[in-house]
Amino acid sequence: MAPLETPLPRSRGVSVASVFERYGLIVFLVALLLVAAALSPTFLRPANLVNVLTIAAPLGMVVVGQTFVILVRGLDLSVASLMATVAVLATAFKATTNDAIPIIFVAAIAFSAVVGLVNGWLVAKRNVSPFLATLAMMIILQGIRFGYTGGAPISTLPPGMGFLASGRIFGIPVNLITLALLAIVFGTVLHRSRLGREIFMVGSNPKAAFLNGVSPDRVIIFCYVVCSVCAGIGGLFLLGYVGTVSNWVGQGYELDSIVAAVMGGVALTGGRGNIFAALLGVAVLVVINNLVLLLGFPIEMQLIIKGIIIIGAAAFYRTRLA
Amino acid sequence: MSAVVAEFRRNRLSLSYVIVVALLILLVVAGGFLSDRFLTWRNFGNLFQQLVVLGMVSLGQTFVVLLGGIDLAVGSLVSASTVFIAHFLEWRPDLLWLALPLALIAATTIGALNGLLTIVLRVHPLIVTLGMSSIIFGGTLMYNKEPGGSVPRGLADFSYAKLWGIPVTAIVLVAIFALAGLWLQRSRSGRSIYFVGGDREAARLNGLPVSRIVVMAYALSGLCAGLAAIFLTARTGVGDPRIGTALTLQSITPVVVGGTVLAGGRGGVLGTLLGVLLVTMLNNLLNFLNVSSYYQWVIQGLIIIIAVSIHATKRRQ
Repeated sequence: MAPLETPLPRSRGVSVASVFERYGLIVFLVALLLVAAALSPTFLRPANLVNVLTIAAPLGMVVVGQTFVILVRGLDLSVASLMATVAVLATAFKATTNDAIPIIFVAAIAFSAVVGLVNGWLVAKRNVSPFLATLAMMIILQGIRFGYTGGAPISTLPPGMGFLASGRIFGIPVNLITLALLAIVFGTVLHRSRLGREIFMVGSNPKAAFLNGVSPDRVIIFCYVVCSVCAGIGGLFLLGYVGTVSNWVGQGYELDSIVAAVMGGVALTGGRGNIFAALLGVAVLVVINNLVLLLGFPIEMQLIIKGIIIIGAAAFYRTRLA
Repeated sequence: MSAVVAEFRRNRLSLSYVIVVALLILLVVAGGFLSDRFLTWRNFGNLFQQLVVLGMVSLGQTFVVLLGGIDLAVGSLVSASTVFIAHFLEWRPDLLWLALPLALIAATTIGALNGLLTIVLRVHPLIVTLGMSSIIFGGTLMYNKEPGGSVPRGLADFSYAKLWGIPVTAIVLVAIFALAGLWLQRSRSGRSIYFVGGDREAARLNGLPVSRIVVMAYALSGLCAGLAAIFLTARTGVGDPRIGTALTLQSITPVVVGGTVLAGGRGGVLGTLLGVLLVTMLNNLLNFLNVSSYYQWVIQGLIIIIAVSIHATKRRQ
């Protein structure tokens, strides 16, 4: 059997077009950073940059997972609801000491894995469209969560949870280290392993994958589990950032994570994309949001700009492929 | 061959309807036993009044889903339209005859723009309508963050008017559904939505103006959102920039429960009407039984999964 290359576009010649094609997002990001630095003197201050990155980290974790699901022609609308549910789960231990943190992590990851398993099972085995399966999961988790809390915010958390947001190891924020670890581990799985090749195969042609001895169902379920676990971990880190569990922790992350992945060139039609490019998408999204605030525009302007960028980015990748 | 296909399609559809109708009957009977206030004329009057807005938005969603698309901008569009109507009418209450058509034209235009963007940019409708939704929502909030405006007495009266004990708005809704159903089934342009939804490439090869049909379906979805906004503003008396947010996802449930397939090409508006009835009646009954709205969410999620699983399994057989 011929070696299967991951179907990423690889340019050989060095022309302006090919450079832009491969590094378009980086060029865009650098331009954005320059504009930001020129327009707002506060932007390049370390405090602001750390702030931007801290906001970006939990979203980045979700995007790592979302990329897996989109690669197999899916999407996961339940990630934000799962983040909030995991946050509520973290308070359920009513822990006041840091001994509980490992237990909280294990419980959160186990719970997320089960959610991902159900999502994947519905999509792969029951033929439910990913949109509806994860939409239903989003509503169900929301109901369970509100049913448990009665709608009231809770703040019984081990004091150490704040470390997840503001803690540093060797001067580097913990949440960024975690994001980097997640990206490296799952990036290796996706871009360097046999399983990763199978994911691309299932995403670009499920029938051909099946004929090559790959079980699409198992690959798809695996992707949904990865997505939910990443979202669960992201939920814990976001919880550390906001400190109190309102029932809406992470609201909007489902759409933002899809937007970031699409901007990073992950194709909604499946089989094409790169985790690290998707993370660049996160950076672009967060820098834009930050810039809107620094320039003193009303926060609603973020929504308008985000809308234009998501459509524009999707159109850009679409035409490039055609 | 096409006769066989048509027959199969009819049978499949009617089976979906039978399931939903059976569930509805079950619900009414169970409701009668479980609560003595459920099976009353008064409650059903309220219920029909409640389902008008959801029904209207879901109708628009049905056109788009039949086409194989999805419209995630409807919620923002409804909110924006209520804001427009209420503020316009606060400014000039006497220009009711102008405000409402203007709102409908604007909503239809934005809907058409959604369709046009999916065609011109060749971007997935999910992304286009999501982006548009964000733009519309942001724009509405920049205009006004809080609910505001007012409506003249006549419009408010319309939303509570009754004819032989039945809310006039509900009669209007059913009439619009009937028209939409007839149009989809009997007219050339209506049938073409099914063709394009079933197989876009084949429709193109058969000489159908695919682009125009796509734009038309999204425009209709926008029109329905505008109509829903009129009903909503009439009832609440204000324009609220957040009132429609939940409607986007809510509007999809009745469509899929009624047997319209997300992949497009199969389903119809009768199923959607039954779906709206089922969802609204179930929530109404659960309210009477004092089930918290939180668990109503869980039940709604389960309904989506069960309904879609049933339809999906049937398709495979």
